[in-house]
Amino acid sequence: MVGGFRWAAMFPDEVWEHVFSFLPADADRNAAALVCRAWYRLERRSRWRVFVGNCYAVEPAAAVRRFPEVRAAAIKGKPHFADFNLVPSDWGGGAEAWVEAMAEGWPHLEELRLKRMVVSDDCLELIARCFKNFKVLSLVSCEGFSTAGLAAIAANCRYLRELDLHENEVEDNCLHWMSHFPESCTSLVTLNIACLEGEVNVSVLERLIGRCPNLKTLRLNHSVPLERLVGLLHRAPQLVDLGTGKYAAQHHPELFSRLESAIAGCKNLKGLSGFWEAGPTFLPAIYSVCEGLTSLNLSYATIQGPELIKLISRCKNLQRLWVMDLIEDEGLIAVAASCKLLQELRVFPSDPYGAAQPISLTEHGLVAISAGCPMLHSVLYFCRQMTNAALLTVAKNCPNFTCFRLCIMEPHTPDYITRQPLDAGFSAIVESCKHLRRLSLSGLLTDLVFKSIGASANRLEMLSVAFAGDGDAGLHYILSGCKNLRKLEIRDCPFGDKPLLDNAAKLETMRSLWMSSCSVTLGACRQLARKMPLLNVEVINERKRGLPLELQPDNCPVEKLYIYRTVAGPRSDTPSCVWILR
Amino acid sequence: MSTTETGNSSTTESAVSGLDYEETQLTLAASGASRSELERKRGFSEGVDLSLETKDFLSGSSDEAPISGAGEPSAAKAQVVGWPPVRSFRRNVLKSCTYVKVAVDGTPYLRKVDLEAHAGYQQLLTALEEMFSCFTARNYPNERLVDPVNGTEYVPTYEDKDGDWMLIGDVPWKVRSSSNFTGNIKGFGSHVEAINKEELEGAISTIHGKHHSTENNLDVCRFMQTASLMKSSEAVDLAPRTPTGCITAR
Repeated sequence: MVGGFRWAAMFPDEVWEHVFSFLPADADRNAAALVCRAWYRLERRSRWRVFVGNCYAVEPAAAVRRFPEVRAAAIKGKPHFADFNLVPSDWGGGAEAWVEAMAEGWPHLEELRLKRMVVSDDCLELIARCFKNFKVLSLVSCEGFSTAGLAAIAANCRYLRELDLHENEVEDNCLHWMSHFPESCTSLVTLNIACLEGEVNVSVLERLIGRCPNLKTLRLNHSVPLERLVGLLHRAPQLVDLGTGKYAAQHHPELFSRLESAIAGCKNLKGLSGFWEAGPTFLPAIYSVCEGLTSLNLSYATIQGPELIKLISRCKNLQRLWVMDLIEDEGLIAVAASCKLLQELRVFPSDPYGAAQPISLTEHGLVAISAGCPMLHSVLYFCRQMTNAALLTVAKNCPNFTCFRLCIMEPHTPDYITRQPLDAGFSAIVESCKHLRRLSLSGLLTDLVFKSIGASANRLEMLSVAFAGDGDAGLHYILSGCKNLRKLEIRDCPFGDKPLLDNAAKLETMRSLWMSSCSVTLGACRQLARKMPLLNVEVINERKRGLPLELQPDNCPVEKLYIYRTVAGPRSDTPSCVWILR
Repeated sequence: MSTTETGNSSTTESAVSGLDYEETQLTLAASGASRSELERKRGFSEGVDLSLETKDFLSGSSDEAPISGAGEPSAAKAQVVGWPPVRSFRRNVLKSCTYVKVAVDGTPYLRKVDLEAHAGYQQLLTALEEMFSCFTARNYPNERLVDPVNGTEYVPTYEDKDGDWMLIGDVPWKVRSSSNFTGNIKGFGSHVEAINKEELEGAISTIHGKHHSTENNLDVCRFMQTASLMKSSEAVDLAPRTPTGCITAR
């Protein structure tokens, strides 16, 4: 910028900092920081929220040094496919390096959100000890810690507002960890322990929530019996979001009416989840709050269609619905008729491995929802059959999709009526939905669908591909198009070396690329690594047989490949099954 | 890896030498099927060792089926790793819903069957037949729990929350159905899907008075507090907890 320095000096620093405080979005702040050195300096001192999408993209110490005033940090570790056991368990994503650097440089840290990282009890103890003002701990899909670590958090974080544990693997070795919350702890707003496997001392929990008047979110684990839910609700009628414990008990009219009135007493309830082992008996107890619900997660409840319909038809204001495919097409038609404000739908498979009776959840359900719910913008749908015609209809009905994830459970499934690949259907989706940010493909697909995606999906940020494509052209279309692509994950596709090497520069504009069971060779990876010093090219080889990777020939096939941009160079914590090529 | 050369236990040689050609012939049937066939032809002990050899030989191609006879998917197609893309958390929760206890008259302990693992009633009944065909049968690798003094066989059991005696091994180690057990039985660390020899040894040595102080076995020790090894013969005296004369699923 011509004369950049001069006009930046027109105002004192405080004015610019005040201006920057109106830029919450990282992208905007990053852009401002690039304008001139003065702005870089000012912006870094005023940034208090940092998001690190890949924990290995930057050295923790460097991040901490650059932004000394950070109060809230969010960090992600393992690649997304780790959720499906494709990443070796010792791959990495350890949180220690970050927690140690933050303890050193951000003593005033208040919020920490970690996703897909390995968090040890030592980390939790360090957090509990070092951050005097710590308020929010959110752990999503993490592992490596136990309830002993949680005890340390409970005992030491005097101003704790949020303890949000979402789908973590937590070792249960400290049965009374919740007793470590001191009597003086009255600040809890969110307590989510749904993923804990062990018994919970409900009396301790009752006393805890009884003294936290600001508690808005309470999500219990499946060990909390239904009878005790009544007592908990009496102590927290101000709840906005409730995750029940076990939602089954011996049928007892007295329990039913007590439960019903306890739930009705929660006048602010907007979200419900949990429902472990729920059967039809106690579902009607929530009828009184259905009208006010905006979020309903029944995806762990094996309730059949008719009961689901009775329940969901009452939820006129539902915005988010997560449910099992037991709802079937009929149920989704009822949802389409009742839930006109629906924005997000997720339908999970009750039987992913196909051993039980087939469920009547087909493309018809998806079409019905797309037709009946004008505000729908996010879909995750597991099913067993699909047609291009259905997808075309969905695309026409819902041009506002931001997230479309369709999983046809059998790989390579064609349009079951025409026996054609589903290229036309998915192409219609990307061409119609101009704001699509996330897309997951499935079914029988040729390179044609990738041509459409590359050309049309201009806002696409994340793409998941499995068992699709004919050859290199497919990957080339994606990498040479999709201007805003950040994350690409591919498994079991016949994509090889050429599109990777031809589009090497693209990889530096993305956060990461995962490829497994494709046709990439070691030679191409070596070339890529040499050509692109700002990429870590990780080759993952779990078999450990034969020669070490350094001695393998160029034509050696690469089973799993993870490439990500980084300014930190090769990481130092690679396990034996991971090689970083240079 | 040749079956005749593997010398893991002294019983291997005697088992192999006593067999005719057809019985040693290795097939690529689902490991569950071949194992139970072999069991019917021979007693328990030889069946275990031979099936172990069979499994080792085939292990290059087969995936890790749980060692316990129950709960194996009878679907013919192999499962692709990580497909469909359902998170392990969700998969575990789904699995834990479909186990039921099954009792048979004459068996003092119950078996747990994963309903989801069987495609229909026919398969379920077949599996139940196999499970209860000889109630001392346990397919533990190399593990025959025999009192060296009097030769009595032991089976490892435990008493669960409802007071039922259950045979160990029906439920994969990592299943999240802690409501059915007196303690947390989740295995430590990586993907343990079945009881392996080390964990079983840890459990048994606890009963014999040795305490495993390593963290890895902490859960196993707690879990085994109410467990015992039952002599197979003595076990017959225990009254079954279900009405006699029928298979009851709970």
